[in-house]
Amino acid sequence: MTDDRRNRVSADRTATEARGETHYPGPSRAGLAAFPPKERWDDWVELDSKAWPRRVERRYCLVPTTCFNCESACGLLAYVDQQDGTVRKLEGNPEHPASRGRNCAKGPATLNQIQDPDRILHPLKRAGKRGEGKWQQVSWDEVLDDLARRIRKALEEKRQNEIMYHVGRPGEDGFTERVLGFWGVDGHNSHTNICSAGARTGYAFWCGIDRPSPDYANAEVILLVSSHLETGHYFNPHAQRIMESKKKGGRLVVLDTRLSNTATHADAWLAPYPGSEPAIFLAIANHLIQTRKYNRDYVRQWWNWREYLEADHPDEEPTFENFERVLATLYADYTFDFAAQESGVDAAEIERVAEIVAGAGTRLATHNWRSSGAGNLGGWQVARTLFMLNALLGAIATEGGTTPNAWNKFVPKPIHPPTPNESWNELSWPQEFPLSHYEMSFLLPHLLKARRGRLDTYFTRVYNPVWTNPDGFTWIEALSDEELVGMHVALTPTWNETAYFADYVLPMGHASERHDLHSYETHDGQWIGFRQPVLRAWRQRRGEDVADTREVNPSEVWEENEFWMELTWRIDPDGSMGIRKFVESKKNPGERLGVDEYYAHVFENSVPGLPEKAAEEGLEPLEYMRRYGSFEVTSKIGEIYAEEVPDAELDDVATGRLGRVYTRAPKPPAANTVGTGAPESDGDGRRPVGIDVDGIVRRGFPTPSGRLEFYSPTLVSWGWGEAAIPTYLRSHIHPARLDDGQIPLISTFRLPIQIHTRSANSKWLDEIAHTNPLWLHRSDAERFGVATGDLVRVETDIGYFVVKAWVTEGIRPGVVACSHHMGRWKLHKDGQKQLMSTVSLDRKDSGWKLRRQTEVAPYESSDPDTGRIWWTDAGVHQNLTFPVHPDPVSGMHCWHQAVRVRKAEPGDEYGDVYVDTAASERVFREWLDETRPAREHSPDGTRRPHWLLRPLRPSREAYKLPT
Amino acid sequence: MQEAEQGPTPAPQQAKWAKVIDHQSCIGCHACSTACKSENEVPLTVHRTYVKSVDVGTFPQVRRAFQVTRCNQCDDAPCTTACPTTAMYRRPDGIVDFDKEACIGCKACIAACPYDAIFINPEDHSAEKCNFCAHRIDVGLEPACVTVCPTQAILVGDMNDPGSAVSQFIHREAVTVRRPEKATRPKLYYRGAHQATLDPLAAQRPEGDLFMWSQQTTGAEYVVSGSSPEAAGRRGDAGNSSAAAVLSYDVGHKIPWDWRVSLYTLTKGIAAGVYLVSLLLILAGRLETGGALWTWATPVIAGVFLAITGALLIWDLEHPARFFYIFTRPQWRSWLVKGAFVIAGYSAVLGGHFAASLAGWSAGALTLGWVGLPLAAMTAVYTAYLFAQAKARDLWQSPLLPPHMLVQALLAGSAALLPAAAFLEPAAVEPLLWTLAGSSLLHLLLVWGENTLPHVTAHAREAAHEMTSGRYRRFFLAGVVLTAAAVAAPWIGVAAAPVALIGLLAFEHAYVQAGQSVPLA
Repeated sequence: MTDDRRNRVSADRTATEARGETHYPGPSRAGLAAFPPKERWDDWVELDSKAWPRRVERRYCLVPTTCFNCESACGLLAYVDQQDGTVRKLEGNPEHPASRGRNCAKGPATLNQIQDPDRILHPLKRAGKRGEGKWQQVSWDEVLDDLARRIRKALEEKRQNEIMYHVGRPGEDGFTERVLGFWGVDGHNSHTNICSAGARTGYAFWCGIDRPSPDYANAEVILLVSSHLETGHYFNPHAQRIMESKKKGGRLVVLDTRLSNTATHADAWLAPYPGSEPAIFLAIANHLIQTRKYNRDYVRQWWNWREYLEADHPDEEPTFENFERVLATLYADYTFDFAAQESGVDAAEIERVAEIVAGAGTRLATHNWRSSGAGNLGGWQVARTLFMLNALLGAIATEGGTTPNAWNKFVPKPIHPPTPNESWNELSWPQEFPLSHYEMSFLLPHLLKARRGRLDTYFTRVYNPVWTNPDGFTWIEALSDEELVGMHVALTPTWNETAYFADYVLPMGHASERHDLHSYETHDGQWIGFRQPVLRAWRQRRGEDVADTREVNPSEVWEENEFWMELTWRIDPDGSMGIRKFVESKKNPGERLGVDEYYAHVFENSVPGLPEKAAEEGLEPLEYMRRYGSFEVTSKIGEIYAEEVPDAELDDVATGRLGRVYTRAPKPPAANTVGTGAPESDGDGRRPVGIDVDGIVRRGFPTPSGRLEFYSPTLVSWGWGEAAIPTYLRSHIHPARLDDGQIPLISTFRLPIQIHTRSANSKWLDEIAHTNPLWLHRSDAERFGVATGDLVRVETDIGYFVVKAWVTEGIRPGVVACSHHMGRWKLHKDGQKQLMSTVSLDRKDSGWKLRRQTEVAPYESSDPDTGRIWWTDAGVHQNLTFPVHPDPVSGMHCWHQAVRVRKAEPGDEYGDVYVDTAASERVFREWLDETRPAREHSPDGTRRPHWLLRPLRPSREAYKLPT
Repeated sequence: MQEAEQGPTPAPQQAKWAKVIDHQSCIGCHACSTACKSENEVPLTVHRTYVKSVDVGTFPQVRRAFQVTRCNQCDDAPCTTACPTTAMYRRPDGIVDFDKEACIGCKACIAACPYDAIFINPEDHSAEKCNFCAHRIDVGLEPACVTVCPTQAILVGDMNDPGSAVSQFIHREAVTVRRPEKATRPKLYYRGAHQATLDPLAAQRPEGDLFMWSQQTTGAEYVVSGSSPEAAGRRGDAGNSSAAAVLSYDVGHKIPWDWRVSLYTLTKGIAAGVYLVSLLLILAGRLETGGALWTWATPVIAGVFLAITGALLIWDLEHPARFFYIFTRPQWRSWLVKGAFVIAGYSAVLGGHFAASLAGWSAGALTLGWVGLPLAAMTAVYTAYLFAQAKARDLWQSPLLPPHMLVQALLAGSAALLPAAAFLEPAAVEPLLWTLAGSSLLHLLLVWGENTLPHVTAHAREAAHEMTSGRYRRFFLAGVVLTAAAVAAPWIGVAAAPVALIGLLAFEHAYVQAGQSVPLA
């Protein structure tokens, strides 16, 4: 008991400033602080909320880390209780330039994940058959030695392609890719093609960079084919800035077939028939063109129109005037009426939006994430036609415009960069998809079953393909077959449907229990964020030595950084394979590199301005990052492509016919290793350095022409001449392609309070959202004779699921939708009991039946709250019933399904799922038939245009098609 | 963990804290909900703050309207008035705070709150709600929900500081409060809130116990916002809104007073009524002062039922062991406190009566009647004031309730005395039968009056509907039929007594529960 009323430190402005400390003002401008002054983060006293109004003091140490509950990577501040060394809460980090101290619902819920009574605490090894649910606890040493032995053997036997690392949410930039590089395997697989491949492809063919970075805060007009006020890349940072623009008078236009929270805030909400979005964008483009409201000088300077005229109109003299004349004819058919006919949206409303867009000038911020781009065959044209509006208005990398993301991202050079490997893995990069962005991840089980290869050792990490990917039963079939997958290692903090079919389940840390370094294009700036085990940082601040994150994590939970380094070391313990050197300490040769040295090296050598900033506070760069969690490298990047190339970079210059400028001067060293398109050299040893714009050499874009590629010679030469320019491709669910009675199902929409299958362990989130009824319009409900809560059967091409109906006005009539996240299940006792029902799986030949046996129920655990679980419903697993739909160009899985909806039949039970995997195999073959494989269409005997982005880009030799 | 001093820190210049929720900026992300759960360690099933949502309109003119729903920090807070122990109290800076260690768990605050913002924490069994994170404000920090909000849609500030953002909002923008007709003077202002969320009955509650991504909390003990599909059907279209409005997310609120309170009204009615009826019959010359009925049956039956009443009331407390706080730290505006003292006084009278009977001093027992009569009447009637203090429950705000309570006591008292009279004092049976018949008739007339006059508010109408035709229809019908039978008591005889008592209990249950069945949030 202390009478410290006078002595207790207040965070309010007057008191803080009187002490000469940092006041973090909150939004209220009330003198109250949003956060304690950073000078006090080592020892901050707050009053206990539970004991209140008794004034019981709690002493905290505030340690930053990064949220892992979506891709946004917002800053968190962990409040470490000085008394017992536990994390008591997580708030935002005011020092984080993207999230600026604010979070969504999932940030605070990180605490649930740390305290999750169902989490995996020890390395587990399968005891029975795969999927039988029997596990035995094993030691990390045993795991590491076993895996090292397998991988070493595979590498020695030149079975490089049998090692694969399959990641869902990486949450980091490049660390694990490097590890695969050390091993010399082309084993990186991702979730990209069930997520963003469509959008990436659209952007990449325009500008050589595959993602957009809108400067929402400064935009006049924001045009979204996304729901950034509730989800997506990058929800919280973007939502802040979208609302900032709105508060300043900016206008928001949203295209979404169903009523999202984002659509709710839109000044204009268009709910188009899914897949018709490019028709709307081209009608807007046509309006800009016909009314000459586009930025003519911009188009003249930056588009590769000359290249287009030469290729498509060789008879025309290549002048801009001629191009404009042609341009005016190209999209003339895309009238508002045509767009209205395709989309179902009123033509006058589209015209109104066109006028809004026309008024944006260079302050047009646009974004396409998932949504239509991820739903439709040809969906890559959504981003392509959307970005065309920016390209027409010159709203690229401007204030309030959209910047190619690589310029708003900073990936520092690591300590030991690997050399490109020599192999090409056809399980991830099959010849049918030479233009895919990127790995054909969701085809893996089909390719394995087709004996296109096998896997000796398969790592999954934050990846749950059995649940998340289409056609999960085919995944189960492949994962259960030891001939196809020799060993499956699941690296995961929590149970998931894929981990049930693993040989090892290895527990990895949550957001506050692991190291990662990352940077994302949240706004016009560049920053790095540092995720760290907060208790390790806390102990180090108290002067204790922590050499291994397992010392501070719960039980035997580890982190990937240390795991990969240790595994790599054990693969090549004596260094004879040339692998060990990559994980060897520079300071203490002969010893393994530790995370402290790894990050200290990066922060000291590869992040401009960080050492100086740290020195201002008397800290080492690593100490600075451990204390503040993030660093803004630079802000206000601007139009990098318009920069003049300095003379020093111009040596023995050659200029191509179309104005591409090449130089012999070596590339100046750059600390930022972020990937972009890699245009080819001139064949005479000169590298592309810029383009000639009105007689001045400017940087240009990382495309072959150096310009914005309105016309893509790459697409033409790889067999896709019909898509040479932005166009509208009719989706596989276009009304003309539907059979009688079929309607489209949108299955991808996300909720603001869940994140894929990673948040079933968050009780506060699960309490808010735990089921996924089928959204259908009132008129459709009447047609099908169902009311809210009634059971309906939704039939896809390969099976059906039985789900409850949610009758709503918030969706276009004639379209149904079912949200992502729900329908989680477990087979045995292990699992996330708060959001998984227990199911039975029955197989008869290729027919699979999943039936719910036990619903969610309260249970006793270390957390009394699990005894209060009141919801019983965990939703329905719809993705099982989706066959694979690989887009032949982007490689995107086209999520939308043509379905039949009707009242459930007698005998149907809620949550039932039936699938015939023979049918799914047939659909796979049908879509494969639509591809234009490299072996038939490659213009140069390679597997893929070398200039296009590719994770873990191998050597040029590996690009060559096998003869 | 160290314990420091008690009580709020006095500010140099008294602040008056208020909040603004800006629904032009709220994106419905629920960050405030989970940040609050974390900061205040709020268990599952209960919420200090949550985001209700209503889908308004018809395609394609549709929107989702949000409402960040929580305590209104009323300047005239019904919860502090109703709280018997000052566990709920208003700080000098306007924050309505609470002290869990002073809470006896009577739930009067919950019954009183017109916004259903208070709940019993299942961990510690005390009443709890949003207190503006007073523990943070007192160390100079904004509340957790303010800090976390991605779009800065929640602002806290001092209304006395004209430079604060809340002052500007409150005085310069079109802001509104929830349910101003309750005259509680909330200090939580909404900007851009939609009528469909502000009025708990505006939206239609979906069928199938379902929301757009969650289940509805079901069960008789829970109330969910919106008009029931059945009630909506009765009006022909949606809820209390001419625009289409469907509730798309809400959380259930537990009804504060369960069957024990229904039963308490009966046992208390018997306890009061037995004495009243006996004394009135004596005054009317229809009962002997020396008879067994007055001498023994009256104090014994009344005493036993008063003891049962006390036991029920204590059983209903979430902290039964703290029941004596009512006497040791009374908050005198609370009718729970006033009622407790009335009951205590009445039980003293009964004790005195019994003692006088033991001593054979019948004049003494009769003289006690001068105090006993008003105390018994107050015991019968105070519940009307207790219920009326439940400001949220419009059904209970009836001016007929005090006389109705008295009539019910006469009904219960005469019925309870009848078997004893048949056994001990047959001469009293007839006047008792007529008393029962008369009070039953009066009771029915009052019920008829209460339910046929148009109700002034939609809430009262909804509650009356739940009572007569909704959730509690069967209890109500049983109550009416059985009491109607008791009107014929003079012809039926003593057998009418249990019929009347069961009928009254059934009615009381319908009345007490239906009064709490209408959503407030």
